[in-house]
Amino acid sequence: MNIYILGIAFSVVFLFTVVDLMRRRVLMEQYSLLWLGMGVVILLLSIFPQWLNGVAVAVGIYYAPSLLFLIGFLFMLGTMLHLTVVLSRLTKRTVRLVQEIAILKAELADGNRTDPDGTDKTDGTDKTD
Amino acid sequence: MNDAVVIIPALNEEKTVAAVVNSILCAVPAVDIVVVSDGSTDRTVQEARAAGAFVINLSANLGIGGAVQTGYRYAKERGYQYAIQIDADGQHDPADLPRLLEEARQGRGDMILGSRYVERTAYRSSRSRRMGMILLSTLVRLAVGYPIKDTTSGYRVVNRRIIELFSSYYPFDYPEVEVLVLLHRNRMTIHEVAVQMKERQAGVSSINVRKSVYYMVKVTLAVGLELLRKRAIEED
Repeated sequence: MNIYILGIAFSVVFLFTVVDLMRRRVLMEQYSLLWLGMGVVILLLSIFPQWLNGVAVAVGIYYAPSLLFLIGFLFMLGTMLHLTVVLSRLTKRTVRLVQEIAILKAELADGNRTDPDGTDKTDGTDKTD
Repeated sequence: MNDAVVIIPALNEEKTVAAVVNSILCAVPAVDIVVVSDGSTDRTVQEARAAGAFVINLSANLGIGGAVQTGYRYAKERGYQYAIQIDADGQHDPADLPRLLEEARQGRGDMILGSRYVERTAYRSSRSRRMGMILLSTLVRLAVGYPIKDTTSGYRVVNRRIIELFSSYYPFDYPEVEVLVLLHRNRMTIHEVAVQMKERQAGVSSINVRKSVYYMVKVTLAVGLELLRKRAIEED
């Protein structure tokens, strides 16, 4: 069994895994496109290794499989950059949520302490909660 | 409701927060006070509330930037015209506050910055610390175009325009220096007024030796990035 058969097997399993994760809604579509793309590229390069050779010769790489490593590495770099962008966005949203909730809670507590007619009930006898 | 609100970010400052709130109310009776507790685990919230402050208690620790911004968002929502920022550790003297507020009301600048021209701090300035300060001043001067003497002061009065600006964007951590450049890039003016700084009454500075390298790198990067942006505001 040569490396290209292994490559085909691997990429098929990989693609199935990604699609299954999408099917079960574990992985959101917007983040799965990258992985699907990578699976397809590996699959194509495994089926048509001459493409890899052609590109390797064209850019002056003597050992074609090392081009595969380069592609994999660049893809990982891109994915991780994308992930940290997503993480930053999530962080920003979480911060905003915590802030809004804290303000709301404080205002709610303030409203409970004061009657509509303005008298203050906070003499240490807070019976709520 | 008054037209000015004092924002006090506090993280486990139970020993000093009540005294700070009281001293502010003594110095300037006509202000509201909001204490933003950044997930304090001690009695900061109760102490501040008992002292008469409106307390916003963050359920997760957001860091100084996130805590301070909460105060500005509250100020924006409630329609305050001026916001004053003061530390909960007691190193800012509220006696200077009426003067700072008056300068803001007269429109001397969008932000009035309380500056310690004379440092009377307990931790004596080490050489590396002084070097850092000089570096920061130079950096800010290059970015802003005019000298600011105390670039790391967290004692300030801002007007409505800046309240709105800070509500949409405020630096995540070590915000003081970045804020100066941010304001300049958004065509806000900064006016410095000399104040006395006391030694902190309790707690530890958020900047220790180990963190100072990160601090310098982060601030330099932040200032550089700020210069690359056209305008910083984008609501999201």
